[in-house]
Formats: sequence, C-alpha cells, structure tokens
Amino acid sequence: MPRYKLVNGISIQLTAEEEALRDAEEQAWADGAFDRAMADLRQRRNSLLSQTDYLALSDNTLSSDMSTYRQSLRDITSGLTTVEEVNAVVFPEKPEA
Amino acid sequence: MSTYGNLKYDFTFPASNPSGSLVLIKSITASASASVSFVNGSNGVVLDDTYKAYKFVFKNIHISNDSTRLQFNGSTDGGSNYNVTKTGTFFISAQTEGGSTIFQYQGTYDLAQSTGVQVLCQDQGNGNDESGSGEMWLYNPSSTTYVKHYTVLYHHYHAANYAWSNLIAGYCNTTSAVDAIQFNMSSGNIDDGTISLYGIN
Repeated sequence: MPRYKLVNGISIQLTAEEEALRDAEEQAWADGAFDRAMADLRQRRNSLLSQTDYLALSDNTLSSDMSTYRQSLRDITSGLTTVEEVNAVVFPEKPEA
Repeated sequence: MSTYGNLKYDFTFPASNPSGSLVLIKSITASASASVSFVNGSNGVVLDDTYKAYKFVFKNIHISNDSTRLQFNGSTDGGSNYNVTKTGTFFISAQTEGGSTIFQYQGTYDLAQSTGVQVLCQDQGNGNDESGSGEMWLYNPSSTTYVKHYTVLYHHYHAANYAWSNLIAGYCNTTSAVDAIQFNMSSGNIDDGTISLYGIN
C-alpha cells in the first residue's frame, strides 16, 4: 500500500526513494524490538528498585522478604531472549517494609 | 514609550501581529499520514522571521502501530532534507491507573550532535481510545546568529497503560535558518489528530 505524507496540509504520495527510505526505517525499528522491550523492562524495574533503596541503607537492617523482593527485581531480566518473554514478565509483589 | 518606576522602555510590535498574541498559522489533520510537515513559504505556512517564536500544538494524535514514538526533525533547505544537527535531553514522569509511578531522566532518547530524529514520546498506545496531546515551542528559527532552541511537553497514553508525560528540550545546532519541521512515527502512520502551528512575537 502506498504511503502519503502531508506537507502543509497537502497529501503527497511518497516517491520510490522515500518509500525505500521509510521501509529501511521501519525494518530498523522492527529489528530493535527486543532491545527496546528490555530497555523498557529495565526502566520499570529500576524505578521499583529505587522506591525501596532507602531500606537498604547501611543503618537499616533489610527484612528477608524485602531482600528477596529486591533480588528478584535485579534478576528479572535474566534468561529473556524474545519480546514475548519480556512482555510476559510479571513484577513481584512488594512486601511490607 | 512606556514607564514603570524609573524604567523606560520602548517597543513596537510588528504590523503583522500588533497585539503580541498567538496567531494561528496552519492546522493540519492527519489521516493515515506517513508524516506531517510544515514548510515555510506555501499554502499559508510561514516559518521564518515573521514571528520570533513558533508553537506546535498536538491534539489527540492517534497512531496506527502500537508502542511507537512520535518524533520530529528539522530542515534548513525547505524540506528537501530533514537532518538538522540537534542536542537535547529527555525526562519522563508516568503513572499507571493502579498507582505505580516512574520519574526518570531518560538518556536513551537524548541527542548529542545527532542529525537523527528527536523522539517526543515513549511507546504510545494505539487502542481506539488512546492518543497523545501536547505542545512544542521552536524559538527564532530564522536566526542566522544563534542555535534554535526547542522545548516540548507531550503527554500520551502509553502502550503499557500509563499516563506518560515527556519533557524534552534541546537545540538545533545550526546558524542556518530552520524553515521546515517534520513529524512522524518511528513506525507506521499518524492515523488521526491535528497539529496546529502558531506564531508569536
């Protein structure tokens, strides 16, 4: 299906050269799906870790449940090889502090 | 001449916009569009020294492909090539409907002297009721003395069901006039939504 661009409100069909360029961009995007999924997973994991960082300070004793929770978060990216596996990850339940 | 205490100042708004208010230049509504461009000099679009600052307003940008990113690039040759060198930063704040939050500097989408696109959002959803809205300012794009700063606030429905805000700022590192701006998605089309261009002095 041909693509169209809007230039100042005027719809113009992409040239063959523009179509080829866009195809390459779309392919590059598709090829990067796993890396993007992992980056997104790490982003959300890091945010959850940071929310309990204060409990891991040296003047506090981390509970066993919290220690397990934080280790589970750190390990959550292990062994993932496909986008489907990444999307199926379920974050562990945060225990009471 | 106006006075305020001991201060005296003299300014004159240009005849094209004597009130100094936002002036709508052009609204473009996407319809399965691979890109939306504003190019100075035709079909009522100005992107030159007519105004000192330009504001793009995004209204309910709805996209074809799930988990893709709105992005922009600039041109200094009337839209023949969108490859202006840019340096910029990217912050996010987000919250799920269940209350989980994220607030992060997101270096992944930073640009450092890159001619590639500036990402304006992260992984927007494409569900029937999902869209994104926001604004982008471009300052003095016709300057041949200074770089051209841009600031963006874009909020969207994230593909993972977050209310997701992006704060982006940077500059087009060129002393050539930027005379065209193009928006597109990292993959797929902008299926619906309006981008309006305003000017202000």
